[in-house]
Amino acid sequence: MSASRSALRPYVCSSCRHGVLAPRRRFSSKPAQNPEIYDVVCVGGGPAGLGLLAALRASPVTSKLKVALVESQDLDKARSWDLPTHEFSNRVSSLTPSSVAFLRRIGALELLDTDRVQDYQQMQVWDGETGSKISFDWAEETSPFEDPRTVATMTENANLVRALLSRIEASGDENLKIFSKTTVSSIENGSDHPDGPDLSAWPVLTVAPSEASPASTSEPPVRIAARLLVGADGINSPVRSFADIATEGWDYNRHGVVATLALSDSEAPTFPAGMRTAFQRFLPALGGPIALLPLPNNHATLVWSTTPEHAAYLKSLPPNAFISMVNAAFRLSMTDLKYMMKMKRVGEEEEVNQHDAELTWRLQHTPQPNHIPPMVTGVQERSVASFPLRFRHASTYISPRVALIGDAAHVIHPLAGQGLNLGLGDVASLSNTIEYAVTHGMDVGDLLSLERYSTERWGANAKVGGVCDLLHKLYNVPGQGPVAWGRSLGLNVIDRLPFVKGFLMRQAEGGA
Amino acid sequence: MSVLARQIAPSARLLTPVTTAPACLLPRHFSVLNRPQPNYPGHIPLTFIERGALAVGSAVGSLINPRRGDLIATLGEATATPYFIYRLRDAMLSDATGRRILRDRPRITSSTMPLPYLRSLPENSVGRTYAAWLDREGVSPDTRSQVQYIDNEECAYVMQRYRECHDFYHAVTGLPIFVEGELALKAFEFLNTLIPMTGLSLFAMVRLKPAERERFFSLHLPWAVRSGLASKELINVYWEEVLEKNVDELRRELNIEAPPDLREIRRMIRRQQKEEKQRMGQQTA
Ligand SMILES: Cc1cc2nc3c(=O)[nH]c(=O)nc-3n(C[C@H](O)[C@H](O)[C@H](O)COP(=O)(O)OP(=O)(O)OC[C@H]3O[C@@H](n4cnc5c(N)ncnc54)[C@H](O)[C@@H]3O)c2cc1C
Repeated sequence: MSASRSALRPYVCSSCRHGVLAPRRRFSSKPAQNPEIYDVVCVGGGPAGLGLLAALRASPVTSKLKVALVESQDLDKARSWDLPTHEFSNRVSSLTPSSVAFLRRIGALELLDTDRVQDYQQMQVWDGETGSKISFDWAEETSPFEDPRTVATMTENANLVRALLSRIEASGDENLKIFSKTTVSSIENGSDHPDGPDLSAWPVLTVAPSEASPASTSEPPVRIAARLLVGADGINSPVRSFADIATEGWDYNRHGVVATLALSDSEAPTFPAGMRTAFQRFLPALGGPIALLPLPNNHATLVWSTTPEHAAYLKSLPPNAFISMVNAAFRLSMTDLKYMMKMKRVGEEEEVNQHDAELTWRLQHTPQPNHIPPMVTGVQERSVASFPLRFRHASTYISPRVALIGDAAHVIHPLAGQGLNLGLGDVASLSNTIEYAVTHGMDVGDLLSLERYSTERWGANAKVGGVCDLLHKLYNVPGQGPVAWGRSLGLNVIDRLPFVKGFLMRQAEGGA
Repeated sequence: MSVLARQIAPSARLLTPVTTAPACLLPRHFSVLNRPQPNYPGHIPLTFIERGALAVGSAVGSLINPRRGDLIATLGEATATPYFIYRLRDAMLSDATGRRILRDRPRITSSTMPLPYLRSLPENSVGRTYAAWLDREGVSPDTRSQVQYIDNEECAYVMQRYRECHDFYHAVTGLPIFVEGELALKAFEFLNTLIPMTGLSLFAMVRLKPAERERFFSLHLPWAVRSGLASKELINVYWEEVLEKNVDELRRELNIEAPPDLREIRRMIRRQQKEEKQRMGQQTA
């Protein structure tokens, strides 16, 4: 244990701890510097961090634990987040049924604004180069008299975060401390205080008001110690650096273009009524898939993975040309799309929409499959944005008194919409692990207690991340070569074998 | 009148786009008993076997008689689908001018290309060279056969366009339509368009006489390879718009070198042979 500790925290000089530091501390005139001790300190108040806190507060076993959360952004803003009913945030995630079940179990689901949440019962995925397709729905497994089963549920991240915050608030403020607008400025190992507990193997955090906040000058930094430090602090996780956990990974040299879109009323009534569909078309020649996921009231959210150049081009287009490009991307050939991505941008609104003229003309000569989405008719102002796509996987999720969850542990390609679900899967597993440790009188920060979490999640996440990476690579081979044949054969075969498809869907559903 | 690769065109020249029902991309399954509706006027839908038979038959036929232009045209259509004609269409769709041609669908006939006007253009202009070439070969723009066997209506237009522009290729390259010249042009076209028929017709080489073959390999094939690979896609030239352009300038723009004029070469060789014969005759006399 001590060997691994010194290996993990090489910068703690254990030989001088008693000789130099301790005597000086003994005479320190500031005994208040003793850090406040918490059972669980969570760094990061994104969906993963707040989810963990809500889960711990919801369980009678773990609700007595003394917990803290540190978030550099202003959580009051997240609490009071509100948009008109016809507007949607552009950060939307699809929750799998097992994520939804987890949220229900911790009592956060009913706190979601359900008018802003959209289930979908079917998913159409096809290859823009070969035309082969696969459709996902539960029709094979449900009787025609049942309501169609949900494939996934679209939720704005902000809606989810707000619900989690309400759930945490509803649990009272006993044994709970939330440091909002507060940034972790350093993490180090504590020391062995003669007049206090031996914290030499405990992470001690120094937290200070975030740079931007007006309190940054007035409030002094605070020190807190963690029996278990949870890193839910995103891709550049400071907790991960502290624990000296290596990550493997690469940048895809692709960007995800997101936007909130309005759709035309589809002429054909859906059967059964109210059935909604998600659409994804792979565009090998443009660097990745385009996906249109349903939101309430005939809205949809866009995630278009493409090269940084194409992403910059799309973002530079006026709204009507952007809409034409999205419609084209679900309908036209790779050749047309490549050409249209290079067309001169028309700056002025009143000028003719060349992109639309091209689309209208090419549609007359391009045979359409019957599974394309309805036409996009509008794009919400200021909703077009992009973010770089990356792959990261921590070499381990645990080290003594440290656990990583969410994006701090893994970042994957968004083509399967699994990023947030993996994070919630981590939360469910870690909160169970903590519950088990508490019930069995174990130390929640002990590596032996945490082992179970790592075993449950690391392999599962690696598998999903690996499949997404493979799909990304497979669908980036343009043209009609053997790879294209292979993948169309693959999709067509899967589409025709209900057993295989059912298996894949249960995997995607979250192993339910 | 030399009539290689040419036939009096049917009267129905207009290839109207069928916009309501786009043609299928996938080969359709039907038998001779329930042949589907044509996708455009003049279209003859073929079964897979018919298409194969047509390809083999026309290949053999055109090899036996390379002057059967109808067979060469048929061979072109039978082998161009499904892949190669799409490649050519995509080459057009990747280019601004190519797209404009596909949108406008211009046709080259004696009424859209009035010969008197072309002859009135300045010396060495594309139009004048084209007219001179037509006059020298004794042909007219109306002597191209109608596309019949290509299922996709847009691809049928591409094939039609390719066929109608063929005379311009002769004009800008300056190749005559004797077998050697035609072969050199086919090699050039094959590398430029990748339409298999143009490559397949190179098999007609087996019919060349040894001296012709020698010249073909040492002179014309290298030219065809160099120019065919280096030049821009000729299918994307809007010929109707470059009639007044200087032919050398266009050739430079397209990156084509001027090939040796075969006809001149032939004439030279014929003169040499005649002189030789005369000398021989004088000697024997
Ligand atoms: C621009 C963008 C768009 C995205 N769009 C989609 C999408 O459309 N669909 C989808 O499924 N996924 C999307 N993702 C991915 C998805 O948002 C993440 O998978 C998810 O947010 C991960 O949640 P998390 O809680 O693990 O991390 P995060 O949401 O990144 O939360 C980390 C939190 O830690 C805080 N933090 C970091 N460092 C410190 C510190 N030193 N002190 C205090 N606090 C700190 C940060 O402020 C942040 O709030 C997107 C990601 C980005 C960046």
